[in-house]
Amino acid sequence: MLVVIAAFAIIGPLILPDPAAQDLGRYLEAPSASEPLGRDDYGRSVLARLAHATRLSLVFAALCVGTALVLGTSAGIASAWFGGWADAALRGISEVFVALPALLVVLLFAALAADGSLWTLYIGLALVQWVEYFRVVRARSSLVLGSPAVEAASLLRLGPVHVLRRHLWPELRPLVTTLAALGMVTCILAVSTLGFIKVGLRPPRAELGLMVTEGFPFYDVAPWMSVAPVAVLFLITACFLGLRRSEVTT
Amino acid sequence: MSGTQRQLVAAVLLRRAGQAVGVALVVSVLCFAVVRQLPGDAAYRIAAGRYGDDLVDADSAAAVRAELGLDRSAWQQLGDWLVDLLRLDFGRSLVTSRPVVAEVGYYLLGTLQLTAVALGLAIVIGGLAGVLAARCPGGWLDHMTTAWVALVRALPPFLLGLLLILVLSVHLGLLPAVGHGSSSSLVLPALTLAVGLSGLIARVTRDTVVEITRSEHVRFARTKGLTERLVLARHALRNAGVVLVPYLGVQAAILIEGVVVVESLFAWQGLGHALVHAVFWRDVPVLQATALVLALLVVAINTVVDLAVLGLDPRPRKREVLA
Amino acid sequence: MSLLELRDLAVRHGDTALVDVADISVKSGQALTIVGESGSGKSLLAHAVMGTITTGLAVEGTMSLDGVHYDLADRANRKHHWGRELALLPQEPALALDPTMRVRDQVAEGAPGFRSRRKAALRRAEDTLGRLNLGHAARAWPHTLSGGMAQRVAYAAATIGGARVLIVDEPTKGLDRDSLDQLADLLTEHVATGGLLITITHDLHLARKLGGELLVMRDAIIVERGPADRVLTTPEHDYTRRLVAAEPSRWQYEWLASPLADATADPAAEPLVAAEKLAKSYGDTELFRDISLEIRPGERWALAGPSGVGKTTLGNLLLRLGAPDEGTVRHHNAVAGGRLQKLYQDPALSFPARVRLTDAMRDIVRRHGVPPGRVESLMATLGLPESLLHRLPGQVSGGELQRLAIVRAMLLEPALVFADEATSRLDLLTQERTMDCLMSELTRTGCALLLVTHDRELATAVADHHLRLDQAVHPVAVP
Repeated sequence: MLVVIAAFAIIGPLILPDPAAQDLGRYLEAPSASEPLGRDDYGRSVLARLAHATRLSLVFAALCVGTALVLGTSAGIASAWFGGWADAALRGISEVFVALPALLVVLLFAALAADGSLWTLYIGLALVQWVEYFRVVRARSSLVLGSPAVEAASLLRLGPVHVLRRHLWPELRPLVTTLAALGMVTCILAVSTLGFIKVGLRPPRAELGLMVTEGFPFYDVAPWMSVAPVAVLFLITACFLGLRRSEVTT
Repeated sequence: MSGTQRQLVAAVLLRRAGQAVGVALVVSVLCFAVVRQLPGDAAYRIAAGRYGDDLVDADSAAAVRAELGLDRSAWQQLGDWLVDLLRLDFGRSLVTSRPVVAEVGYYLLGTLQLTAVALGLAIVIGGLAGVLAARCPGGWLDHMTTAWVALVRALPPFLLGLLLILVLSVHLGLLPAVGHGSSSSLVLPALTLAVGLSGLIARVTRDTVVEITRSEHVRFARTKGLTERLVLARHALRNAGVVLVPYLGVQAAILIEGVVVVESLFAWQGLGHALVHAVFWRDVPVLQATALVLALLVVAINTVVDLAVLGLDPRPRKREVLA
Repeated sequence: MSLLELRDLAVRHGDTALVDVADISVKSGQALTIVGESGSGKSLLAHAVMGTITTGLAVEGTMSLDGVHYDLADRANRKHHWGRELALLPQEPALALDPTMRVRDQVAEGAPGFRSRRKAALRRAEDTLGRLNLGHAARAWPHTLSGGMAQRVAYAAATIGGARVLIVDEPTKGLDRDSLDQLADLLTEHVATGGLLITITHDLHLARKLGGELLVMRDAIIVERGPADRVLTTPEHDYTRRLVAAEPSRWQYEWLASPLADATADPAAEPLVAAEKLAKSYGDTELFRDISLEIRPGERWALAGPSGVGKTTLGNLLLRLGAPDEGTVRHHNAVAGGRLQKLYQDPALSFPARVRLTDAMRDIVRRHGVPPGRVESLMATLGLPESLLHRLPGQVSGGELQRLAIVRAMLLEPALVFADEATSRLDLLTQERTMDCLMSELTRTGCALLLVTHDRELATAVADHHLRLDQAVHPVAVP
């Protein structure tokens, strides 16, 4: 399912017409064979806009999650490995970020981005998310590093590469992938939520949350406008959550 | 209270106080950055918000800029900014010109009302569903909760809110969708928050109760000859609390996020609503104060949770409670 | 005179019989003990009687207590007897006590009339605890108790209801000899005052202490029965014979410690490890101080003592895996570069859990340039099939994995091996096999041994040099 959505997001923008092309003559046109999802209040193709919005959401979320993952995981391992003041400092910083609701930080960053630019949102979201990886990775790493298995490895003089490759990584990988799946959901929802409450990306950019807001007033006459982005959002989140479940059970 | 217990309480308070200071610092430095970022036309926009579109001219925009002190050095400004924060001087709203403290007080009341009702609802619904599902793991109720949790998890609060508006307000016409003040207008936003939270609570309650009823000590309590009710009351509930109460602390941050969204969606006069408006209008003093209060709310909830856990569980902390 | 009889008791999982016993009878005034190794079905038998067996298993048979018959297939018909007539002392007392409730309250709630007369029940609990020398611990939380104390608290909680039939399930887990003897005295007293006692254990020492009737179980059936002293001195069944011979005090091997002069060690050799005036505290409790010892090539040292006195901590200090509070540890060049190895209590935890054993072994072979075929030949010597290597550590039995750990340690041709309770989780026969493998390898290579154990007999059988750590801080060195 996720593959289908991803394919839609990658191929859709290439073959579909310009999402910004307005044709006021086709105001709120109902879905038809040539235009499966109809047109919106500016006469723009809902399908094309949807494809662009999905691509934006996926790429953006993947970027945020990737950054947060690399930052958080390496900080977590470093913290558990070296201990001492580095650990204390990193833990202190993480304590602060844990208490900050993610949306709050992102909102503040949205305020920083006067024009609703993607960069500030990106920094905001990555900044919020690294803490989760850090905490989970640090907790598990210190367990692993304190285990008899690692003690035995050091008595066998196997070196740090062995510890990373054979002890830490196999233990951390399932945790980190689970977190990443959840992180994708959080990111996509956060961006669309910001769009929805009109403080994130600005129109006329095609974004899922914005599309929901824009479509909502026309719910009576053109339900396809709001139902389509909601359905895509729901599918994406359900897919990533499903991904997490299969990771946990295997 | 014994000496060691007093020490533990002191340690919790100290740790949380440190967290609060850190949170306050991050929020206000971010807000300061917002001010520094304000482009010229934002000053115009603030002036427009304050004096009305027709009355905006270069003078009023310049006045706004001077009020924000954009002409001094960055470090000096940051220092002043933090000193103001220490004195609890949040200034006046750039939009309404009223003292921020008064405004925030009003909004805080709204938010507290909403969160209290939502949290209460969520605990009752989630706790009941969880305990009932735990009575027969694998039963239909258990599957229902699982499906419920998956559904709620995949629906962000704003979609859930929209859905509830559509069903209860538009189609059934039972409740007002938007507004503030009357008790009936509280129902929809509180329900939206509670529905989201209760799914998670139900899940954790179920898992915890199942795990505890299978634990060695509950089985031993049964073979000691205790009745099921006595086992539940004396052993299962308190041990479940040891797991569930910290979980509520973890949820605090999620709850606050939900509050921001739900308040804007339903136009409920609370901190989240005010925050979003402040972001939109670049009303930095209100922005700072509301963000600060919301973040400190999370710390406060977690402090209460920590103290509750201290009371419930005599064991030394093996690892720090999450969040 | 009460009598408990079990007839045609069977526990099945699908088509496999896990317990299949024709008849057992327990008389008051005579203890009944069931010994056997893990997997023999002895614990299942106890839970089938109690009615606490897991629902996935099918139970058949009848129980009669003083002429009243119960169908064992119905798990619930004995429930109203729990605590009053039938009591169970569970396996791990530390887990069986509610961590969030004070000791006295947990004991009191089993007392008759607890719901109506709470004060009287609490007083009674205090009396019971006082009689078990636990009066001072009445208001303590369970996590502050030692293993032996927790066992006695659980005993108080299980028996306060006045049950005549007491079923004791593997009470020896993690208990040192002294706590075990105290428990044996309590159980003997229960029998002497007219109670019925069924004890499930793998510990022959406990069985000997309890006396009475002894049943030996293996693979779901009883292979031998009779008076305990007779069965344990002149066993008839082949399995019982092997079991009894597996006790360290009865071992017969070339590598056993001889009371005569130590042949392998050279007193003039430079010590591999030299410790001087070591001291270590854990929080406010001082574990030991003023410990000095020197381990020379080929020597066999044993650190013995009850659990919780810091044996493992001392061993780790000697390997420089931890830092002492005071004193110094010096290592000779001969142990540098991985020639100091350690065997762990739980071998499964000493291998990377999610990596196949081949990969774990290959890392060592590559890193240290071990000659090819060495792993395979060592495994063959220790009787391990090569196919084991394709599994994960969790898929190999404890005994085999511990032998694999020996193989791993031997790859680096160590000068000293530290065996930290390396066989204490294993069954008697497996322990014998594992120790034989380890000691044969050590003898062959002239490697020294540092053995940490709570089993005095094992220490006596294996080591030439003994250091006993007791609750008293000052250690007793026996040359």
